[in-house]
Amino acid sequence: MSANYLLITPLMLPLLGAITCVFLWRHVNLQTIVVACVQLIFIGITGLMLRQVLTEGIQVTHIGGWPAPYGIALVADILTALLLLTTSIAGLAVFMFSHIALDKSRKRFGYFPLFLLLQMGVSGVCLTGDIFNLYVWFEVLLICCFALIALGSKKSQLEGALKYVTINFIASGLLLTGIGVMYALYGALNMAELAQIVRSSHANVKLLALPGVFFLTGFGIKAAIFPLFFWLPASYHAPPIGISAFIAGIISKIGIYTLLRLYSLIFSVEINSAQPLLLILSGLTMAIGVIGAAAQMDFRKILSFHIISQIGYMLMGLAIYTPLAIAGSIFFVIHNMLVKTNLFLVSGVVAHRYRSFSLVRLGGVYLMHPTLSFLFLISALSLAGLPPLSGFWGKLMLAKGGLEAGNYILVGTSLGVSLITLLSMTKIWNEVFWKPRPKRIKNSVRETMSAYTLYFPVFFLLAFILVLGFFAQPVIELSQRSADQLLHSETYIKAVLYD
Amino acid sequence: MRTLIFATAIRILTPVFLVFSIYILLRGHNHPGGGFIGGLIGSIAFVFHTLAHGTKQTNKSYFNLTFYKFDKKPDHGKFRHALRLLRKNIVRNKNEKPVFIWNYYLLRLRPTYLMATGLLVAVFSGSVGLFTGKPFMAAYWLNAKIPLIGSLGTPLLFDTGVYLLVLGMVLKMVFTMSKD
Repeated sequence: MSANYLLITPLMLPLLGAITCVFLWRHVNLQTIVVACVQLIFIGITGLMLRQVLTEGIQVTHIGGWPAPYGIALVADILTALLLLTTSIAGLAVFMFSHIALDKSRKRFGYFPLFLLLQMGVSGVCLTGDIFNLYVWFEVLLICCFALIALGSKKSQLEGALKYVTINFIASGLLLTGIGVMYALYGALNMAELAQIVRSSHANVKLLALPGVFFLTGFGIKAAIFPLFFWLPASYHAPPIGISAFIAGIISKIGIYTLLRLYSLIFSVEINSAQPLLLILSGLTMAIGVIGAAAQMDFRKILSFHIISQIGYMLMGLAIYTPLAIAGSIFFVIHNMLVKTNLFLVSGVVAHRYRSFSLVRLGGVYLMHPTLSFLFLISALSLAGLPPLSGFWGKLMLAKGGLEAGNYILVGTSLGVSLITLLSMTKIWNEVFWKPRPKRIKNSVRETMSAYTLYFPVFFLLAFILVLGFFAQPVIELSQRSADQLLHSETYIKAVLYD
Repeated sequence: MRTLIFATAIRILTPVFLVFSIYILLRGHNHPGGGFIGGLIGSIAFVFHTLAHGTKQTNKSYFNLTFYKFDKKPDHGKFRHALRLLRKNIVRNKNEKPVFIWNYYLLRLRPTYLMATGLLVAVFSGSVGLFTGKPFMAAYWLNAKIPLIGSLGTPLLFDTGVYLLVLGMVLKMVFTMSKD
């Protein structure tokens, strides 16, 4: 398939789907069919993209026919294709879940078009090869997330959405400033051209740290890195699961993707000065996230705090900056997208049944729904990183990379944090599944057919998690190839600028 | 704000705004202007109309296509009936109650559909380049030259899409806010 078609389809497909959904505004059932078709084709296209990138190298298309430094280029390498494939799988699962569990009024007020536009934003961020275009796609993400979090206008939702939007506006402002500084210093916005300039003897190369600070802070807020993470647990628990699962599972990792891309491509020339900072930040992000989770008594809030802690692991690979560690980071991002989405979906199934997210009000699930408990257990153990589940391989690669590079303290922290993660998952297990159901709770348990069909998306994602755990070798190889590609940025520059 | 002067002035100004917005849309290729500003200027006409007469009236006069329909008289032929229908629909007597209003939901020009149409037009204009074997959004120009407009091509189509999108979005916002 020609790169022109291949790279534009992940953007156009959700957009066309969203337009169709707007035309079918009052026919929710028809919208559902449209979205289902879009999700299936989306998975097919991203799979095709991965195959083509693996066989033919980096794929580039120049939008509008303008060659690279002047126009906007869309670029797909292995990292992009892997992330898009994972996103599309998680997207299909979330769609299946929300088709059953989401209330009618949210669907009627545009849940489906917003969801598709959000997916378009994710594809845009992953595909673009232009730094200003990247910012624009982040704005698309921000607007869709804002609308989705606020959709339904419950009090807690509006509060969460307000926090989300305020802090993300500040982050966008910082990003825009960074892009402005970058353009003032080097006169270029194309990432490949910037990468070439910072490796040349340009007069301003010494000032690279200046835009670097803006980018680190801006994307740090978007990815919820240590001192800037407070908005995440404050807003992610507010919307219903059909919305928060996708936002929590996918969107926060997109920030990490951009950091990986920018640091390997542009800021790699001064990585030595940034490395100590990144190491400290990643260690603190891990530790603070997991400690924050210990204090929570709400299913989703615990999971939200764990997102922060996992972000620390992803940042750890970037901070160590060896091929193995970056490959570990990439593997960890893929694993975490699937597992985190699945855990949110499980919490949604439990809440659908027992009408609560609070650990105090839940209990006795294991007695009544052993399958559900089993589904949670596997995902939770995978998150904590027990062998042979998928989290283990990611953490193994990161730890090995760290030990080889001599970062003993960070590796020690990461292993300790793993242990506390396990503790925290045990807490959920004890409170929700193991302990007897509190007597004073009179809520009836919902035993309908739809509650059983809700297992389906969870099983679907769990299958991928198990495959990722038991047949980790091909995915690890892919992430290693991808890390190699990231570290050898000459291939990227050549593909964008000279082919 | 329901003053007589304003309401009368807006009746004269509405076509001016609309024509000017289309002028801005068309000159946008080489000069300041384009779909975005054109759409904003075009929406001013409707916004002022809303301020003067209220949302309901604006909806009724601009975004509703109403067709009058009545039964065929037994001594009239089909052709004559069609002519009468046509005349009735073109020359409307406001005081006369219509016999039967054929007011289909599909024919209603809602701002949301305007937005979706705009997006669709813009996407289509980009895809034309794709079908000719070039990258997405590569410009494709027709050879024909039209006086006043110039040459036709996909960039103009894209701008038209943006025009519709902006128009629809501003109208949606104004209508929603003026309802409360």
